[in-house]
Amino acid sequence: MVSRLKAVGLRIGSIVVLLLLWGAASALIHDPQVLPGPWAIARTIVADFKTPGPEGESAYFDVGITLARIFVTFSASMIAGIGIGLAMGLNRLCERSLLALIPLMLTMPTILMVFLAIMWFGFSEAGGLVAVMAVVTPLVTVNMYEGTKAMDKSLIQMAVTFRASPYLLVRKVYLPQLLPYIFSAFRYAFGQTWKIVALAETFGLKFGIGYMFFFWFQQFEMTQVLAWIIMFVVLMLVLEHGVFARLESRAFAWRVSVAH
Amino acid sequence: MRHAVTASSAITIENLTKRFPAPGAGDDFVVLHDVSLAVDEGKFVSIVGPSGCGKSTLLNVIAGIETYDGGSVTIHPTAGRADAEPRIGYVFQSPRLLNWLTVESNIHFVLEAQKVPRSRWRQLVAKNLDMVGLAGQERNYPLKLSGGMQQRVAIARALAMEPDILLMDEPFSHLDAITARKMRFDLMEILQRAKPTILFVTHDLAEAVFLSDNIYMMSTRPARIFKRVTIDVPRPRTPEDSTILDLEKTLVREFFSVVEAKG
Repeated sequence: MVSRLKAVGLRIGSIVVLLLLWGAASALIHDPQVLPGPWAIARTIVADFKTPGPEGESAYFDVGITLARIFVTFSASMIAGIGIGLAMGLNRLCERSLLALIPLMLTMPTILMVFLAIMWFGFSEAGGLVAVMAVVTPLVTVNMYEGTKAMDKSLIQMAVTFRASPYLLVRKVYLPQLLPYIFSAFRYAFGQTWKIVALAETFGLKFGIGYMFFFWFQQFEMTQVLAWIIMFVVLMLVLEHGVFARLESRAFAWRVSVAH
Repeated sequence: MRHAVTASSAITIENLTKRFPAPGAGDDFVVLHDVSLAVDEGKFVSIVGPSGCGKSTLLNVIAGIETYDGGSVTIHPTAGRADAEPRIGYVFQSPRLLNWLTVESNIHFVLEAQKVPRSRWRQLVAKNLDMVGLAGQERNYPLKLSGGMQQRVAIARALAMEPDILLMDEPFSHLDAITARKMRFDLMEILQRAKPTILFVTHDLAEAVFLSDNIYMMSTRPARIFKRVTIDVPRPRTPEDSTILDLEKTLVREFFSVVEAKG
């Protein structure tokens, strides 16, 4: 308990020190067009949420749109990746026919995929979806495929010996063994998704955090640019550490209990 | 006494042959050659043989998870439920528990697989955990238990489905000698209460003599049964009983004369 408090204290302390250094640097430079202080950024963020921006919408709208885009493209990529990965792991035909395609997809640079998707689908939501799916689905697929390969065959044989139905087998034998792979795919895929969504918003899509960032970048408005970057980073940190980490520790309670 | 009153047969195997296809164009590898055996209902029957002689394959064929190439395997349901499919329990060499499920849920897994009505689960879990000496461990996770306790859970899991036949594949070979000895005593006691028919595979003759009503001795290359022995020592037994020790000595000598002659 003490070490936990200490860890939290250190974390908060390091953030406070960073903010102090930032404030000091901005006071020294004394030019809000180069490095506005943390206080000015905080005021800008609050104002962005309270008042309509250049497109007539407040920051709630843009944050909402970005979150919706991340949620939809991420879910679609996870579902597709899990499905294909499982099919490859459990079916020889799928394995042989798809194994050669995976490295091909994984080698494709992310930014090229974004531009390609925009050229094919224009500045539409479909372009963003295709860009994310093209990059993230193979990542999830590889993870799931490896997960199925790493499953304990002796447990599957045990279940078959006791005449477990396919439904019971998947639920109690396959899924728990695949869960660590699903979670690691989940985290990695999520990190990739929000980066691609930010890219797509910056270069092509209308509305969203990336779009607003690019708008203010073109106006060369440093305070607003930093404000939108910080909004994005804080949002993703909350999602990743606040939501996913909690889900994960709950799913692996049986492992934690061993450590006591 | 565990000796069944009726002598009706639980398992009949006649001229069973099983081959594994050889890699390339060579001759098939004969795993089981012309194996015949009969296990009477309620009896404890062991198959003793050197490692790699096909004992586990024989159990898997009986369990119905491996095919065979010739002969016949018949499993007779216990009298009284002749219309039902015979239920076969299995205790493996290692516990093969689902470590992410509690002890209780591991037993539920088999009860669900065997379609045992949910209303009976609580009673079956309690009864069988008590029988293997693990009462109160329902909510514990397998990885918190010792190897011996994990194997006890595996035995409770197999007994909870109330099997007509219990197959055991060297269930104590992964345990240290002291734990294994204790487990053998406890198994004897458990079986006084549960009374399934048991087919027990081992490479340890002393273990087989102590536990069994009948022993089939198997050789390797070709894998076949060369002797059937009846152990008529009354229960409860002790491993140090002079009749048991003498029998063991005779069988060991005979066993090695056959197995080494082939070596």
